[in-house]
This record gives sequence, C-alpha cells and structure tokens, in this order.
Amino acid sequence: MAPPALLLAVFFVLPMLIMASFSFRLGTFAPERYVFTTEHYWDFISRTSFHRLLLRSIGVAFITAGASIVLAYPLAHFLVFRAGRMQLTLLSLLIIPAWTSYLLRILAWKVILGSNGLLNSFLLQAGLIQEGSARLLYSPSAVVVTLVYVWIPFVALPIFAALQRIDGSVLEAAADLGCPAWQTFLRVIFPLSLPGVAAGFLFVFIPTLGEWVTPALVGGARGVMYGNLIQDQFVRALNWPMGSVMSLVMLALMLVQLALFSRVVRLSDLAAV
Amino acid sequence: MINATSKLLRLRFAAQTAARLLAAAIVLGGCAAPAAAPGEAVAMQPAAAATGPLLMLEWSGYELPEFWQPFADQHPNQNVDFSFFAEDAEAFAKLQTGFKADLVHPCSSWWQLYVDAGLVQPIDTARLSNFSGMRPEMSAMGVFGGKQYFIPWEWGYESILVRTDKVKNPPKSWADLWNPEYAGHLALWDSGESNHAMTALALGFKPEQTTAAQDELIKQKLLELKPSVVTYWVDFTEVPQLISSGDAWVVANVWQDAYATLVGDGVAVDYITPSEGRLGWLCGYGISSQSANVNLAYDYINAAIAPKSMAKMIDTYSYGAANNSALALADPKFIKLLQLDEPDILQRTVFFNSITPDRRKRFTNLWDEVKAAP
Amino acid sequence: MQRRDVLSPGFLYFVMLTLFLYAPIVVLVVFSFNDSRTLVFPLRGFTLRWYGELAGARELLAAVVNSVVLGLMSSVVATGLGTAAAIGIARHNFPGRRFFLAVSAMPMVIPYVVLGVALLILFSWWGVPLSLWTVGVAHVVINVPYAMLIVASRLAGFDKNLEEAAMDLGETYWGTLRRITLPICAPAMLSAFLSSFTTSFDEFAVSFFLIGTEATLPVYLYSQLRFPSRLPLVVALASIIMVVSILLVTLAEWLRNSTLHLSRQGSA
Repeated sequence: MAPPALLLAVFFVLPMLIMASFSFRLGTFAPERYVFTTEHYWDFISRTSFHRLLLRSIGVAFITAGASIVLAYPLAHFLVFRAGRMQLTLLSLLIIPAWTSYLLRILAWKVILGSNGLLNSFLLQAGLIQEGSARLLYSPSAVVVTLVYVWIPFVALPIFAALQRIDGSVLEAAADLGCPAWQTFLRVIFPLSLPGVAAGFLFVFIPTLGEWVTPALVGGARGVMYGNLIQDQFVRALNWPMGSVMSLVMLALMLVQLALFSRVVRLSDLAAV
Repeated sequence: MINATSKLLRLRFAAQTAARLLAAAIVLGGCAAPAAAPGEAVAMQPAAAATGPLLMLEWSGYELPEFWQPFADQHPNQNVDFSFFAEDAEAFAKLQTGFKADLVHPCSSWWQLYVDAGLVQPIDTARLSNFSGMRPEMSAMGVFGGKQYFIPWEWGYESILVRTDKVKNPPKSWADLWNPEYAGHLALWDSGESNHAMTALALGFKPEQTTAAQDELIKQKLLELKPSVVTYWVDFTEVPQLISSGDAWVVANVWQDAYATLVGDGVAVDYITPSEGRLGWLCGYGISSQSANVNLAYDYINAAIAPKSMAKMIDTYSYGAANNSALALADPKFIKLLQLDEPDILQRTVFFNSITPDRRKRFTNLWDEVKAAP
Repeated sequence: MQRRDVLSPGFLYFVMLTLFLYAPIVVLVVFSFNDSRTLVFPLRGFTLRWYGELAGARELLAAVVNSVVLGLMSSVVATGLGTAAAIGIARHNFPGRRFFLAVSAMPMVIPYVVLGVALLILFSWWGVPLSLWTVGVAHVVINVPYAMLIVASRLAGFDKNLEEAAMDLGETYWGTLRRITLPICAPAMLSAFLSSFTTSFDEFAVSFFLIGTEATLPVYLYSQLRFPSRLPLVVALASIIMVVSILLVTLAEWLRNSTLHLSRQGSA
C-alpha cells in the first residue's frame, strides 16, 4: 500500500500543490511569480465564455462515455463468452490500432471523412448524396465520433475484466433453472459487470473532460472545448496562473461528478470500499 | 454444502486464471523482445566526447547533420545532443526552470523575453566568419540594447493560400478574407498572435502597436468572420491536407513550405501577396548564459549559418535563409517559386517582432474569446 | 472457436468493429506506398521512396526504441503499483481509504499539460536532470489510477472468503496473496498493462515538458508535423510499427498454442 501512496504523494499531490499555489500568483516567472493575488479567480468568474465551454465539455464527455460503453459492451461480452481460446488474440487485435500515433489515426480519419474522402466519394457514386452536401468533419459531433473510436478499446478492457470474473457456475445454474438467455443477461451478467462499466465510464468521461487534441483537429470552428483554452494558457500565453485556476475548477468539477456518480452506481462497487 | 462447491469452483477458476497469466506472460514476452535499458538507447551518437556534449534546445527536424556539417568536420569527436521542443513556450519554460542547454533556437517574438530574463548572453559577431553574408535587417532584429543576442537562421512568410480551381475571385488582401464567397471553405490558423496581426493589417492598424480599443475592434472583426470558418488549423501538415482534400479553399497564415508541397503534388494553388503585405516569421540561435561550452556554441552557430548549411535547409524545408550567400547554392527553382529573393515582396513583409508577456496574454485571451464564442 | 460462432451476431459485431478500428490503419498503410506528399485520393502510383528515406532517419528510429523501452518499463511499474493499490483498497481497512481512492483518481482528470508543467517545476527544484526517467515517472503517475481501477473492478466481485479460507487452511498472508489474490487479478493486470503501454507509447503532452535529449516517438512525430514534406515518412513509420505489432501478437499466439499443444502431449 505504501509505495503507490508514496508515489502519488510525491509525484502527484506535491505537483498539484505547486499548481494550486501558482493559481494565486500574479505571473509565471519572477518577479511577478512572487506577487500573490486572487485576480485570476475573479477573472475566471467574469469570463462567461469559459463557463460555456466547460458546460460543452461536460456534455461531450457524457455522450462520448455513454456511446463508448454501448458500443464496447457487446465486444467485451463476445470476447469473454464466445471467443473461447482466441480470446487473448482477439483482445490484442483490438488494442493494436491504438499503438499507432493518435495524431496519424485522426489524419487518416480525415482522409476517410473529408470532402473528397473515401466515404463521400462512395456515397456520391452510390447516388445517396448530392455533390458537396455532406460535411462529416469539423463539428462537435465529429469530436464525439472520433473520441468514441479512440476509446472503444480502453472501455472494452475494464468491462472485459469484470465479465471474466463472473463465475461460470452462476450461468450454468441460471441455464439449469430454465432462465432464457436474455434474462440471464439482464439479471445476472449485466448487474455483475456494472463495476467494469463504471470503471469504463470514468475512463472515458474524465479524460474527455480535459480533451484538447481531438477538438482542435476535427472540431472545426464550433467544436472548441475547455481543454483547448487550458492548453492555450499554458503553452501559448505562458500564463500558468490562469491555466492553474482553470485546471483547479475542472478538478473540483470532477470531484463533484465522482460524488454524484457514486450515488447512482455506487462507487463502492468499483473498489469494494 | 453449496457453499463448499462454489468455493471449489472458484479455486478451479483461479487455476484457469493462472494459466491465462502464463499466456499473458508469453504475449508480453513476445513484445518485450526489442527491449533495452534506456541508457543503451543513446548509442547512436559518436563516442568519446571532448568536453561533454554540446546540448541543443532545438526544433525537431533541424538536427540533420547536413545543417551543421562544418562543425562536425571541425570537431570530429564532439558529441552534439538535441532536446526537441514543439512550441516556443515549452523551450522558454524549460530554460527558465534551469534546463542546461548550450544553444537555444526560439523565434523572434520571444527573443526580448529571453534577453530580459537573462537567459542568453551577448554574441560577438566578429567571432562568426560566416556572419558577413547575413541579411542586415534580419540580424538587426536580434539586437537588444545595442548588443547582438540572437543570430537569425531561418525565416518564412505567412500569407494566404488559395485553391484556384475552386475560387472565382482569389483574395487580394487580408481584408478580402471577409468576402462571403469563401464562407464555409475558409480556414484560419489557431494562433492568437498571427490572427491578431493579420486582422490588424486588414483593419489598417500596425500589429505591433495596437491599443486596447483597436484590439477590441480586432476581436469583433474576427467574431464576424467566425461563421465562415470551417476550422482553425493547428499543425502545418494540416494545411496541404485541407487544401488538397477540398475541405478548405482559402487558408490564412500559411507558410510557403505548404505551398511548395502542394505545387509539387500538382494541386492548383496560388500563394497570395496581400496588398497590406505578407507577415513574416524569423527564428535563430542564442547562446545560453549558463553555457559551459561557449566556444563550441560559437563554432556551431558559425557552421549553421554557413551558406552551404543554409542552402540545405532551403532545399529540405523550403524556408528562407538569413544568410544571403545561401541563395546562390540552393535550388534556383525553389528560390523563384517561394519568392525568397523578391525585394518587392520581402521589403513589404511585416515581420513579427518581440512582444511583451502582457501583450501575448492579451492576444491569447482575445483569441480564446473568439474560439469560445457560440 | 467453434464453427457456429463464425456467424453469431457477436462475432459479426466484433468483425465490424475491428474493421472500424483498422480502417484508418489500412488507409495509412496504403498511403505509405503512394507517390505523393499529401494524403488525398485518388492515389498517384506506387513508390517505396518513403521507406527508403526512413532508413536514413536515425533520430526517428532511436525515438522508436526509446518509446518501446519507456512504454514497457513504465507499464510494468504502473501495473505493479496499481495492483498493490487495488488490493490495498479492496482487501484492507486503513484510515483514509476513501480519501486515497479520490486522490488516486485525480491524475486522470488533470490535463496532461498541467501535470507536465508541475512536474517540470518539481524536478527543477530538486535539480533532477530531465531524461527518459523523468518522463517515465510521469507515465507511471498517469497510468497507476487506470491500472488500479481495472484491477479493483475485478477484485470487487471476488469474495473475500476465498482468501480468508486459504488463511484458515494455514496459508500465510503472502502465500495467499501469491496463490489466490494475484491469480485472480492476473487477467485484469494484463488489461492494465496493455492500457498503460498504449497510453505511454502515444503520450506527448507531458513528455514534451519532461524530455531530455532522448526523444520519444510521439515527441518526435508531433514536432515533425511542423514540416509538411516529412509527413509520408511518418506515415511509413507508423505502417511499420503496425505491421510489427501484429506480427508480434501473432507470434505470441502461435507460441502459446504450440506450448499448450506440447503440454497436452506430455500429459497424455
């Protein structure tokens, strides 16, 4: 227990305290670094555009997490109950695409979805759309689709792990009792897999909240998210204090969300606390 | 009884999982084959350093040996290590927090900041034999308080790229970007600094000296353009993709290398010279004030600004060279295509000068407000 | 797999989603042989030029090696620590358990750039020189929460009785851990390892701030995107990585099958 706690204390809690202290400093480097102020907090409160993007990010994170789970669940189910000896191979097959640079995969998606892309050319040939009528990229929904694509393997993993621990005898017992397959699923399998689903949800929701690469690449002019603004403060404006304030707000929000979440799905299930 | 059976079943399951662990170990073992300790991975550099490595804080891609060949000839046993950055702010933050680089390669709008923070030392240009061919107006941008702190290396234009087979009336000025003809097929660069400068020129302001009131007008003007914008492009490879895929017909603040790539691929494009003048960027070398290898640093800079090295850079990346003598050695087709030596264009180009942290903050905030607008 | 499964809806779904996941990869591989510097249809003709140029890009190849090593080492450590944390949380009572759980989930929400900046300041205070090690520490911090959640969600459903029974039967604490708890965790540990490796192999936001003189692959690739003319090389490299990964997994599977086969013969 001690090593992970120590690691987190030294390399996470301590850096976060540094960041928290930055949120009260006037500037990033000396001499402004040593002037203390709450100015950035007041600035944040007055910036309605920040609040709007924060809400948008929450919405995108919810939809993305939900859709990823819906799509990944049957996958994990298939791997655990139907794939037999091929299980690990097929699981690896799912993960491998993620070893290609994310940026390059997005680039490839743009080739597929762009105006002269594969999909549009195909739809055009098939007479399903008119010339130039379909714009599949550069919108908030393109962000969701892309993120779901990215997250599916990551969501499948915890669901896979959770489904795997379901005792074969329970399923046999259900079958022996004449329980139809769909009822076995609804009453036995699904409830038992909920911790994995919950883990998968958090896996997607939490990082999507701070996501900035995907919106920058496929979100278009209207798909910008909160994470993009944080990124700008740190690496463009070199305004670490403001970036810290914005990050802390997001952190607080995440904690609130975790608390709400734990009422609905019982976080205790997740880690047996 | 039932309980005992289920426990047995579970124990059996545990045995199965142990078998799976073995399988996992095999999978992982397979993947682990090419592993080596991190220390061994460096073995690509020549061995036996004379005075410890010369440490470069450098853009990736500039490490190519042909860009500093004379240095390698002069110091055959000297290690040169590169630490890469992708944004100016990263390099500045790293140096500011004590990263021990000998040479750093920031762009002009950051130079003053380095000088004010005491991160770089004055350079005696008399010690650089290749300095004589440098473009004086560019070298002058590296002078602060009468001392030369930065030696320019590469520069480039920022202008408008147009898909000529899609657009009937190509823009003739920055102000023309607001032409409704391009709506839905216009892409801007996701850079507060560049959009501020571009819009300032379109409104007839001097980008370097805008007042707060003028900045407000710039913001309104950019908000006005927002509905026409398909995307704010982020990295430089995105531009050729946007243009050749037909997703965008008019792209602003493009560097000339994207133009060269597209011409090479046979796409119908034109690189405009807006009536307000093109924008221009410039980057160059500074010697860290902490450097313990000052002599080597001088030799490296001298090697990098050698006409031959710079000509390689033009041919490889299509950027402009701060040393005029390089033009004669580079591929003349490129020079002509990229208009690297047309006084008419170059003299009217508005180069980005150093900006204060306050102004940088203002531009970022302005641009964030535009990006975040509904 | 049995014959009837080939046409089962589950399998068809798996195939469909796999195609979906591989579609961009296929596109990249196709374009790595295309004689053009932009990735746009129609294709312009076959070339091996990009692969040829790749052979000369030594920094790029060094970056690949760095990333593989970094990914493997940081994932092993993250999986180990994550498992320890999961067992601690799921199986032990200690003061501040809930607090620990909340704190350990936090690295997931911090934008990586923030973590990168904060760690940069920390390392510079301590005078730790930047290197692959500093990036490795950050990757462990990033991956421990994921590893912990994956393993904990598996342990959550397992009856503690199993371990208690083993202890009652005279097994020591460490013996129980080794013989019961860890085998239970094993599949989840594999998941955690894969997920950690995948994250580490493609992480650049933190790496940029903490990297020393040895670049990782994403750091190198990301900054290469400054040069449109270098894109085909990057695509060719990605294709190679992809094909090698698939070969490795196939090889591992083949090895596993042949070992199983041998062991079956041996016991017969």
